[in-house]
Amino acid sequence: MSQSRDSKLNPSRLTRRRMLQATGAGGVTMVPGLGHMGWAQAQDKPAIGTWPAGSQGNTVYVAAAVPLTGTYAVQGADELKGWELAVEHINTNHPLMKTLAPKVNNGVLGKKVELKSADSAAKPNQALQAAQTFINQNKVILLTGSTSSAVAVAMNKFAQREKILYMPGISGSNDTTGKDCVRYGFRQGYFGEMAANSIGPILLKTFGRDRKMAFMTPDYTYGHTTTESTERFLRDKGGWKTVTNQVSPLGTQDFSQYLTNIANSGAEFLMNVNWGRDAVLSSQQAKQFGLLPKMTLVLPYQIPFFAKEAGVDISEGVFAATDFWWTLEDKYPLAKQFVEAFQKKFGYRPEWGAENAYVSFAHWARMVTETGSFYPPDVIKHWEKGEKIPSLVGDVHYRPEDHQCVRPVFVVRGKAKKDMRNAEDFWEVVDTQRGEDVIQSPTAFGCKLGDYT
Amino acid sequence: MPTRQRAYIVEILTLLALIAAPFVLPHLGFAPATINRILIWGLVGIGFDLLFGFTGLLSFGQAAFFGTGGMFAAYLLTNTSFTNTIGATLIGTAVAGVVGYLIGLLALRRTGIYFAMITVAIAEVFFFLEFNPLSDYTGGENGLPGVPPPNLDLGFWSMTFGSNTQMYAFFAFWYFVGLVIALRIVRSPVGLLLRAIRDNPLRAQALGHNIHGYKLTVFVVAAMYAGFAGSLLGMLQGFMPPDAFMFHTSGEIVMQTAIGGAGWLFGPLLGAAVWLYLADFFQITLDLGASWKLVLGIVFVLLVVFLRHGLVGAIVDLWRLARPARPSAPPSEPARAAATRVQAAAQSRHKSTRSTSGPILQVSGLTKRYGGLVANSDIDFSVDHGEIRGIIGPNGAGKSTFFKMLTCEVKPSSGRIVFDGRDITAMSVSDACQLGLTKSYQINQLFDRLTVRQNLAIAALGELRGKFKLDLLKSLPKVPGLDPQVESTAALVHLEDRLDTPVAELAYGEKRRLEIGLALATSPSLLLLDEPLAGMSPQERVETVALLKAIAAGRTMIVIDHDMDALFELVGKVTVLQEGRLLVEGTPDEIRSNAEVQEAYLGGIHEEAGAE
Amino acid sequence: MFTWGNFISQCFNGLVLGALLALISSGLTIIYGTLGVLNLAHGAMFMLGGYAGWVAYTYTGSFIVAVAAGAIFVMLVGVVTERLIIRHFYARPHEDQLLVTFGLGIVFVELVRYFFGSLSKTVPPPQALAGITPLGFMVYPTYRLALLGIVTVALLALYFILYRTRIGMIVRAGIEDAVMVDSLGINIQKVFMLVFGIGAMAAGFAGIVNAPVVAVAPDVGDAILVQTFVVVVIGGVGSFPGAVLGGLIAGEIISLTSMFNPAYSYVMLFIAMTLVLVLRPYGLLGTVGRE
Repeated sequence: MSQSRDSKLNPSRLTRRRMLQATGAGGVTMVPGLGHMGWAQAQDKPAIGTWPAGSQGNTVYVAAAVPLTGTYAVQGADELKGWELAVEHINTNHPLMKTLAPKVNNGVLGKKVELKSADSAAKPNQALQAAQTFINQNKVILLTGSTSSAVAVAMNKFAQREKILYMPGISGSNDTTGKDCVRYGFRQGYFGEMAANSIGPILLKTFGRDRKMAFMTPDYTYGHTTTESTERFLRDKGGWKTVTNQVSPLGTQDFSQYLTNIANSGAEFLMNVNWGRDAVLSSQQAKQFGLLPKMTLVLPYQIPFFAKEAGVDISEGVFAATDFWWTLEDKYPLAKQFVEAFQKKFGYRPEWGAENAYVSFAHWARMVTETGSFYPPDVIKHWEKGEKIPSLVGDVHYRPEDHQCVRPVFVVRGKAKKDMRNAEDFWEVVDTQRGEDVIQSPTAFGCKLGDYT
Repeated sequence: MPTRQRAYIVEILTLLALIAAPFVLPHLGFAPATINRILIWGLVGIGFDLLFGFTGLLSFGQAAFFGTGGMFAAYLLTNTSFTNTIGATLIGTAVAGVVGYLIGLLALRRTGIYFAMITVAIAEVFFFLEFNPLSDYTGGENGLPGVPPPNLDLGFWSMTFGSNTQMYAFFAFWYFVGLVIALRIVRSPVGLLLRAIRDNPLRAQALGHNIHGYKLTVFVVAAMYAGFAGSLLGMLQGFMPPDAFMFHTSGEIVMQTAIGGAGWLFGPLLGAAVWLYLADFFQITLDLGASWKLVLGIVFVLLVVFLRHGLVGAIVDLWRLARPARPSAPPSEPARAAATRVQAAAQSRHKSTRSTSGPILQVSGLTKRYGGLVANSDIDFSVDHGEIRGIIGPNGAGKSTFFKMLTCEVKPSSGRIVFDGRDITAMSVSDACQLGLTKSYQINQLFDRLTVRQNLAIAALGELRGKFKLDLLKSLPKVPGLDPQVESTAALVHLEDRLDTPVAELAYGEKRRLEIGLALATSPSLLLLDEPLAGMSPQERVETVALLKAIAAGRTMIVIDHDMDALFELVGKVTVLQEGRLLVEGTPDEIRSNAEVQEAYLGGIHEEAGAE
Repeated sequence: MFTWGNFISQCFNGLVLGALLALISSGLTIIYGTLGVLNLAHGAMFMLGGYAGWVAYTYTGSFIVAVAAGAIFVMLVGVVTERLIIRHFYARPHEDQLLVTFGLGIVFVELVRYFFGSLSKTVPPPQALAGITPLGFMVYPTYRLALLGIVTVALLALYFILYRTRIGMIVRAGIEDAVMVDSLGINIQKVFMLVFGIGAMAAGFAGIVNAPVVAVAPDVGDAILVQTFVVVVIGGVGSFPGAVLGGLIAGEIISLTSMFNPAYSYVMLFIAMTLVLVLRPYGLLGTVGRE
């Protein structure tokens, strides 16, 4: 940020030429975009990020960068639909949204919300580029979208620098609210550590102690942290042994090398941390190589559409930890409303990516409307009060220390084909874990939130 | 190429454009962040253009240096107490240069497709290194977040370039600096030699230049530009991304340069502007979603198919069409020119030799085998100072191979060559040229995309500057002795009126004369001429023979030709080769009436040999 | 980790992978050898074969029809591309040829993405070949074994065409010296078109027969492309036996490295290629002059 600011006078040309000669002091920003406005403000607070410029019109913009191409394309598209539904509900006072964020009134604070989206291809650089463009063109006041934790971590830092709120969608890495946490980021969804601590007890209860497991890990932050969390829990609490950890690059198509290694390792459990299409392919090929059903497949971090793409013969009997599954509608009335609304709009029942996105938005809308202002530091401080707020699956709260939402995690088990009541009845919820029970202590992962301004 | 009077007009126009851009471009739909990005890509592109557009080396590995420089600078700024962004950038650039040097040593051992493949491999290996083993330093797939915006810290006063406009000023300044340096390189002797390497690397080598050294130089320069731009990217985004290392980044650099046009230095900037603008436009304004890449791909293919020289090339072509044609100079009268030539020839320079009498060239037992085929077999051959020697022989006699061995273009299978008392058998062709042994080729080996003046300058520079000189920033016209040498050589071969004509526009006879001129311009003490009269009209032959006689003064010459009338008039002694062996040697009269020679040419029809 | 069982299994994996690479690379190398054009759209053609086969499979339910469709469709794509676009680039510098095939590759991929979306599509193997075969030292998917057989047959067919037919002789002559072939009065344009078509077909055929293993998606060709280049460079540009040898070597390098550290397997391939280039400049079986 510039050290000093010229007053409303001087046209920029003179200043710019002085800057080019590196003799002048201070700078004036005339080009539209982010930066300080040159003229004095009516409010008593200096401009920050896209405030107040982003909320001065009739519409406020939010930007989502999700993968629409590449390995995570399917999950990214699903996440995007969650955002879209939430925006629609905010603008139309849908009863579900009113329950989650009562002060929403055909928009937030009198402004309609509009969603801008772009393809990130799960590449951090591309996501940042899109975000930057949206900031410049639309002065977005909220950034969203990730699916890939690499994108989430990069966007975290970017949002902190630009002083714009950011909520990742799907981000399974511990680091997003761990060592890479930021003041301007809030995460609603569950992540590797919570997943491991939820699925661990079920596995131990079902299968007993001292078993042998093989991991398949995608080679990036989400993969490594989730494998590490899962391994730690099962080893420390149940004496399970890791006989091999096969690390594959994101986007691998042919897993034969890795599966051959696993076949020769003597493992009983195949812990597949791969995600998206990698998970589908690796599981299918595991079956082709005869590893399944000889070994038991476990998905510590569930993948939306896995059962549909890989096939029920593979998902049958598989344990997975997840944020949401639509059959929870039987237990939670708000979930039922959500599933119905989603199905009506999009023609299929939502997976947890869409749910995560919807609830993230709803929570943001709630925080902004309750703060009564778009001013980011105020919104953040309100958020950090950590009050109990509703979600689709009961009451939750956000921890001020790391901005992580403490929420239930569900363990599901794949259904056999004969037990499916309809074409989407892939999973059965077998356990519910309270968020507080499965989350690490706030300082365990070295989170140091940054500044407010 | 700006002439001396219009020097610096390119720099001034660029400066004006850079100053005007932030006012004009936003109204055309360019987001400020995009403009900054365009500058960064333009900067990488300058280096790549020097490598590809000017030297003809298509590298798909620039991403490796882009990422390396960027990561190094980002690491300094995020993980150490280093806060001087300019300093970090310069260090990152230097690191990229060193890495470029090491990689260049490896990659430049091959040319063409193999070179491209090695660069691809390098890029992939670097990406892997960044992603995996070195991930503690590079952040692996996360990259390095938290890179601060650029700042200027002079101790007593500092400023941070935090906003888009301020960053623009910072980037535009460095782009300008980079452009000025590149323009100097292009206008230097090295710049001319790079283009020579692009057009005809073997001839450039044969004219005495260490082309490998120059290739390595430009490779390092391109790496440094990439590293510099990479450091700027980190500061622009506040984050140094891992996909800076990816192959597709290299691909984008190549594509942008292709769109904009290679060889103009501005092509990549324009290409980046088009690419990024269309990406934004298609994706965000038109909301095409994921299909923006399809549209962009089609646009790219169309541009490559229809605009051969890219957008800048198309603009230049339009400009040339619009400008009225310059009247060409009238050719001067032949007679006066001939006299001037003889005079000039007598004054033309040649390299001095250790001795001035006795044999200047001694060859013993020279043999060359290609697998089972023996091209030259055990040839003993000697030429004295000041001689004009002719070599004749039927087709397949091995004359051209013999010449190639003499100039060290080809290594003999066995035998020894001694030139001016020195054993040159194991030397390289550029060393031989530097010593004073040069050849003019049977098939024109010219630098087709350059002018006559530039062609001759390349030859002359070999002698004036030696085999390798890193005068990247020196201005070409300021090389002492260059212009006189170029102009006098041009006068010698009657091309003084055609000095600024591109070679592609010359007639065949003129090209042939230039071919000889190239060899002459290196001031050889021993000049080999491989069929200099090939393809010439009778009138041209007469003139050329006169020219050859004139330039023989103070030099030794060996001439191969099939036109025996002309040859026998020119030379003092003739050597006859047949089927790779030396058949006989003698004066023209002796050879003319030698039965063995007649037999060799006519295949044993003895009765008809009497006629003449 | 190294055990004998794992070693043998990985060798076998390498054989399967290598055979596939050999087939795709042969296509690339004869195109480059004859036309002098490095077809950067080769990976996209591999992908197109998979999609064409998938479409055929969806309509007919027959795997054989799918394979035929995949191969023939991509051959047509190759022929049309050569006729309409590549032909005009022979006189242009090499870099332009690289750029246009590069661009075409992108266009093909994005077209498929536009029409079919980003979701991967599965092509199931024929019933008779689905399932698992016990091989003693390991169990192996039956289809992958069959794939090895199919690809070997395809390579033999290609060998037969190249070395035992008149047209093959012309193609091989064209690889050596296209100008000469032209001066002998043979319609070199038709030969070029045919060669491009055959080369593309090899890639397309590989794409569809490999589909039951990895599924088809728009970006399956990208990784294959780079590996194919490496194989061609290792084996020697323009050499069919070189492509086969290079493919097998590459397959084994990838598989055996992954015994110890899978992350390094592709990097090892690049290092191997660089070594070959430094020590044997024209590849293992390449000929001097083709560059």
